[in-house]
Amino acid sequence: MTTLELKDIQGLLIRGHGQLPSAQYLLYRFGDAGKGKKYLRSILPFIANGDEKPDTRAYQLAFTFKGLEYLNLPTTALMSFSREFREGMTEANRQFILGDFHENSPENWEWGNEEIHLLLLVYARDAETLDEVLQEEAERAVLHQITLLHSLPTGFLLGQKEHFGFRDDISRPVIRELIGGKDLGHIPTFPAGEFIMGYKNLYDEYAPAPMVDPSDDINDLLPHNPDSKNLKDLGKNGTYLVFRQMSQNVFAFWEYLLAQGKTREEAIRLASKMVGRWPDGSPLVLCPENSDPSQSEANKFGYWEEDPNGLKCPIGAHIRRTNPRDHLVTERNKKDSSEMIAKHSMIRKGRPYGEPVADSMDPLEIIDKTEDHKERGLHFICMVTDIRRQFEFVQNNWVNFHKFGGLEHDADPIIGNHYQSENVVTDEFSMPAYPIKNRLKSLPNFTLIKGGAYFFFPGLNAIQFIADEK
Amino acid sequence: MSTIHRGLTITVTLEENNIPAVNALLLQYRKDLSAEWEDYHQQLPGTFFISWLTLPSQMYADKEKLPARIVLMTSYTGKKNKHLRELAGFLGEKLTEIFKFSPEFPEDTLSFQALFRFLKQKSIPNTFYSGFKFIGAGDVENEKSLKKEILDHFSPLSKEGDLSGLSENAIKEKIENYVLQNPNLNWAKHRVKNKRRNKLAMLFPLILFGMVMLTSIVSLILCLFMDALFLKIMAFVFPVFLLGMVILFLLLRINEKNPHIPNEPISDEKVRQIVALEKNPVLNEMTVIAPLKQGWIRRAFLAVTLRLVALVGYFAYIPTVHTARWLQMDQGKRLVFIANFDNLSEAYAHDFVDSERRSMNMAVIFSHAFGFPATRWLVHKNYNHRSEYMKGVRAHQKITQFWYSFNNELSVENLKKNRKFREGLFQSMNKEEIRDWLLKI
Repeated sequence: MTTLELKDIQGLLIRGHGQLPSAQYLLYRFGDAGKGKKYLRSILPFIANGDEKPDTRAYQLAFTFKGLEYLNLPTTALMSFSREFREGMTEANRQFILGDFHENSPENWEWGNEEIHLLLLVYARDAETLDEVLQEEAERAVLHQITLLHSLPTGFLLGQKEHFGFRDDISRPVIRELIGGKDLGHIPTFPAGEFIMGYKNLYDEYAPAPMVDPSDDINDLLPHNPDSKNLKDLGKNGTYLVFRQMSQNVFAFWEYLLAQGKTREEAIRLASKMVGRWPDGSPLVLCPENSDPSQSEANKFGYWEEDPNGLKCPIGAHIRRTNPRDHLVTERNKKDSSEMIAKHSMIRKGRPYGEPVADSMDPLEIIDKTEDHKERGLHFICMVTDIRRQFEFVQNNWVNFHKFGGLEHDADPIIGNHYQSENVVTDEFSMPAYPIKNRLKSLPNFTLIKGGAYFFFPGLNAIQFIADEK
Repeated sequence: MSTIHRGLTITVTLEENNIPAVNALLLQYRKDLSAEWEDYHQQLPGTFFISWLTLPSQMYADKEKLPARIVLMTSYTGKKNKHLRELAGFLGEKLTEIFKFSPEFPEDTLSFQALFRFLKQKSIPNTFYSGFKFIGAGDVENEKSLKKEILDHFSPLSKEGDLSGLSENAIKEKIENYVLQNPNLNWAKHRVKNKRRNKLAMLFPLILFGMVMLTSIVSLILCLFMDALFLKIMAFVFPVFLLGMVILFLLLRINEKNPHIPNEPISDEKVRQIVALEKNPVLNEMTVIAPLKQGWIRRAFLAVTLRLVALVGYFAYIPTVHTARWLQMDQGKRLVFIANFDNLSEAYAHDFVDSERRSMNMAVIFSHAFGFPATRWLVHKNYNHRSEYMKGVRAHQKITQFWYSFNNELSVENLKKNRKFREGLFQSMNKEEIRDWLLKI
């Protein structure tokens, strides 16, 4: 079994820093390449690696393609990054693939259109420490002619919930090498190469990674690329980080469902059908009639045998689209289905932002609140070694494709782009039922993208390489 | 009438310097399509898809220049001659305008009959796959409307509880009565015509092949006891076939040991040109044309493979594909693959590489094409199979200047579901079957 080089891997790839609940995401632009490198050298010692569990503060660092270009990374290295990363999230075709049009068009975003170079993710044990860190970082930025473009706050919500009031982040892929290859029974494990460059992936290939000419690596910081021995591996122990700020319109969500369901209980039942889990997290497949708090973290279930027609958990439900587990309607057997689905997994590390509508995060209480016009949502962050195969595939083929699983007009009810145009309707939600399926129509967009970018999240040696004066 | 889906491929050579002019015309036709789509729909009632493109010259085995070509590929139902007449009738002007760039086109303007003969003469065989077998072009719209009408009518009834308490049979009967009483849906009271006959016709070549092989095996045994010329001749067939296949495999294995030559990476600009045409919200098209790897054995092996694949075409299954075809051109030196599929090519290409079994099936055909991943014994993968395959597809993907699709709204799964619902009408079913059938609505 391959051993992960944890000391070279940035910590966020291994853990979510849950012990550091206060966090802020800072988006920067360099003002001078030389000073930018100096900045990187100054911050490098503070970046948490995968072998430690900081208890006060942790820094993590990621670059956009423009940022690497600005720092004068050699052209061969720049061109060896994947096309999606080089083009960036707002390029025309990427927008089309991601469904970032109409209301979700980047022209409506708050950030992501301008030239961003660097993402600094700062984690602290409490708000005071975070304030201290932010103050220090503000000084460091000024000193190195770095402009802070956006400072995005985050905040955990009670009971690991997201703003609509549903338990979130229950199903997480497990990296095989991290558990020493142990068999976890029903829970699938994934080779590190799915999420960390420099290791083999599910195809038994090394994950595609950026490379540099050995002559550019004067300090011999980087290992040789396993596929091209005459090149050095800039990607080793790094990955791509996808960041999307997703605003959640909690009031529109519950207002719509209340209008459909008439009673609060019925609204919650419909919302649960849309999510695929009850607000406490219990999955509909295991608890189709009522929630069961004892199942709130249940992750050992599939759809192939338990619910192939979506009578318990609709085919188009959010959790069934973003992770169909073992069941794709278009496949003829569970094995093919599971193999196909596994190839599109992601490690999620995002956090919510904004004040909760109700501190209790209880939907019954949320429903009763009146519109406060406050901004809230999710800073969605995922880490993948292949943006196109993993993140974009899921976003395009499963989340936004309105024909997913034999459906007709249904994008993901929670995070899909809902619209109607001449020949396309994506704003319905079908719930298979006997004798005739139920349909919700004219779903508004309950979430809107407010910003986003693709980042390279390098290993520590790679950051040192990028920071070095050549 | 036959509702077996078929593929027509017509190709002629082209002087390389005429490619821009032909491309410009084809792109113009594509542009005009949005205004003319209704005419295409009406005038080509048996045609599902048309892909029309130019193919630049390609190098085969590093030494032979394969000619530039115009390639016209259609997917249709019914008889080939009828389809050709439909094409010559409706697209006659456009066909003439394009094909006259070819030195193979007669100098004079062709009459309808002459154009028909020309198209027929230039058509070449292909191995064809359909993901929505036996559904005629006319059925697509009808079956969609049928399901919509039923859903719109019964949805409110179900919501109001008017169907509660009714048995499965009673609900089915209600739906069937609604169909009978609605003049627009009256057509649906008739069963799907010729279903069994079409299925048999599609399976006939396989049955024939199986019978010949079986007869040969039986003859082989009988030869031990009887002395008849027919038996002696037949007794040779199966062993010769088997021996032929073994020899082909051995020669292929030798060829597989040639060093693998990967494709040159495709430029970002080329990828952008390709994906710029993939903007249809439901289904799109992909054409991949690659010269074969060096060695006559590749050409021969692929030719045999395509014929065997055609035999078992009825049983083939590629999720999300409406129609696909494989064929060889230029004395077998080029592999042509074209598919009409749901959503985007990136997603579609994953159908092949993400499942172990399917990536083996894919290797049976694609491993012969230049730049595609090397294999051992045809189906066993070597390192980097997946990424080499994905690179191979993109490297040889061509820009299809003109693409027409009869159906722009339904996925292949939608088409199959609609058909299953229609087929279930007026069929006797048990309770479980009715419950299952109702889920198709």
